[in-house]
Amino acid sequence: MTSFRKRTVQKPIPGTRTSPHTAQIITSSGNPYLDVVIGGGLPVGSICLIEEDRFMTHAKVLAKYFLAEGVLSKQEIFLGSLDDIPAEMLRRLPRPLTEVEQREEQMASEQTGETTENGLRIAWRYNDLPLVNSEHATAKIGHHFNLMEQMDSRMLYYASTVIWDDSHKDNWIGDGELSKSSSPSISMEQQPMAEAMGEESAAVETEPEANVEADADIKSLDNNAAATADNTANNTTTVTSSTKTGSQPAVWPHNVFHNTRYGGLLNDIQQQLRDESFITGTKKHLCRVCLTSLGSPLWYDDNFGEDMLKFLTLLMASVRNCNSVCLITMPMHLIAKYDASLVPKIRQLVDYAIELESFAGSERETHPAFKEYSGLLHLHKMSALNTLAVHMPETTDLAFKLRRKKFVIERFHLPPELQESPANAQSAMAADDIMPSPKCGSNVLINSNASASLDF
Amino acid sequence: MATSVLLACGLNEQKLPGFVHISEESNVDGSFLISCILGQRLRISNAGTLLVCLQHHYQHYFNAGMRLGYNTNIFQGKTLNVIDVLSDMASEGLACKWLRTPDGLSLTEQLVEDIRAQVESNYANRNSYTILIDNLSILFNLGASKLQVQQFCQDLASLAKERDNLTVITKLSNSDIYQPTDNNVAKLGQLRIQVVRLKSGVFREVDGKLLIERVLDEGSYACEEARKEVLYKVNDRNVKVFTPGEVGVKV
Repeated sequence: MTSFRKRTVQKPIPGTRTSPHTAQIITSSGNPYLDVVIGGGLPVGSICLIEEDRFMTHAKVLAKYFLAEGVLSKQEIFLGSLDDIPAEMLRRLPRPLTEVEQREEQMASEQTGETTENGLRIAWRYNDLPLVNSEHATAKIGHHFNLMEQMDSRMLYYASTVIWDDSHKDNWIGDGELSKSSSPSISMEQQPMAEAMGEESAAVETEPEANVEADADIKSLDNNAAATADNTANNTTTVTSSTKTGSQPAVWPHNVFHNTRYGGLLNDIQQQLRDESFITGTKKHLCRVCLTSLGSPLWYDDNFGEDMLKFLTLLMASVRNCNSVCLITMPMHLIAKYDASLVPKIRQLVDYAIELESFAGSERETHPAFKEYSGLLHLHKMSALNTLAVHMPETTDLAFKLRRKKFVIERFHLPPELQESPANAQSAMAADDIMPSPKCGSNVLINSNASASLDF
Repeated sequence: MATSVLLACGLNEQKLPGFVHISEESNVDGSFLISCILGQRLRISNAGTLLVCLQHHYQHYFNAGMRLGYNTNIFQGKTLNVIDVLSDMASEGLACKWLRTPDGLSLTEQLVEDIRAQVESNYANRNSYTILIDNLSILFNLGASKLQVQQFCQDLASLAKERDNLTVITKLSNSDIYQPTDNNVAKLGQLRIQVVRLKSGVFREVDGKLLIERVLDEGSYACEEARKEVLYKVNDRNVKVFTPGEVGVKV
């Protein structure tokens, strides 16, 4: 008898890797710059809250990155929203860069790096400083995307996607029984095929009443298309998978939430996450849950705060219990106006709370100190999940800029002051008014106690 | 691994005070304290522990414990029992007993019943017993009122008074928002630990501050209290404490 044992290595979940720092399984957020800030990626079982900017442009870009990454990593996707049309959002996901394009981009960035090295520097000592972390993202997981172009519909065709837009709300309100047609799941796999047949499939998601009938229409379209298309087998499987959640029994969430929308959404998420392939330990698949503009005025009612906290608590319980990650975007500036105490309570229920403070529409938009950036990125919370210590980025003074092709997060720095002039002095004074006085770490705690002495 | 922080808090002894309350300010994570205390209790032979998971799953405490050098799975079902409310809610969904209260009991009453049942079945076989509750603010989120939470804590405090060597340790997040409840719960016990952030900003070498208040002698007219303030830093595999002024800014 030999003591030799064959080492069995479990296959990792597609699109994930083990973090060398925390030994957690992490997956990319879709944006390599954000991945670097949060320590390589989002840990499985975590919830990331993106606090929306006032015009809701930048948070949606991050949500699209998150979804696009899921599509490319062959992970299952749940997308829910009341404000946006989820199907439309999925159709407009950014296109992934090919390897050649990535190499070209890298070459271009290296070339610009060389020119700056050879060019005029303010002081030679700056050459010794480390380059901005985010520019050197190790991309073992994650992909690069081009925001200018949309993802090929064939990629979406093979993605397993469930969307929720409360299109079945009439079924919830009423006699207290859940009708069988209340399933919100409309697979995006059907969309390209319907488009291929020259149908206006977008109308399916925008007209809730006609949802069930339209769903049936799409299926018939699919079947017709399947007859003509080459890949008949694929089409059959996607139609089956699109209807799988609809057959499962649902619980009437009347007693739990005052607003039945929360119950409906949570019920659908839980049904999705209870799938055997997401059970922790099996390491088969990962589900990406994305909820955009949660807590927007469309969610308001008399018990908004109570329902929202309960919903997030139950969502946290569900997401942590299986192989899934969740990204939520919330208009926190509106929620703060509704009830300021809700903000810390909500942040307590998520693992990452990131605020995007856009310069659009503010004085800073035209301010010379901020001309390079689109806004500031505030890290309000990073919690240790399944570990003891949390990863801390090198700096919390971060800014973002939305370029034509990508969303970049960088260390925030003020431009060098080359000469003293009355105008510059004025701008510096203006910057002092806007920016908190420099102190350790600064932007996690903005202006809390500027005059106080240091605690340590 | 975590001896220094437990020593600073006065929680490294075999016999703990009857009721200990941990207040956690907004935007501060004090979960490491629960992991540290759990590890310390599990290392004592024949000391029973009941972990009530409201904020983190049991899996989190297992992983955090592994980082601190102990394996909770070895003790589970023996000296460690777990009421994992979060897992129940995840697996049973909206039909979960914690959300539906089928027997006409409120969430907190249901929880007290379950805790009592665990204590009844395990306390007699153990030299000491510790109940860890992480965290009370989740009860608010799940619909419990201030009165119910306060009553819940009062029931647990009376449970600790009824039995020798039984300790209840509670934690409340967002203590600055739930300040009246936080103060009332803290008054039930002899030891209060406040986890607060650094008011002057964020410092790489210090995560926050622990304010420790211990009632030494509760007389008829005056109450003698001891106060201590330490800074802490949670590392990957240990927790370090510093006295204010010890850490300097390295230039």
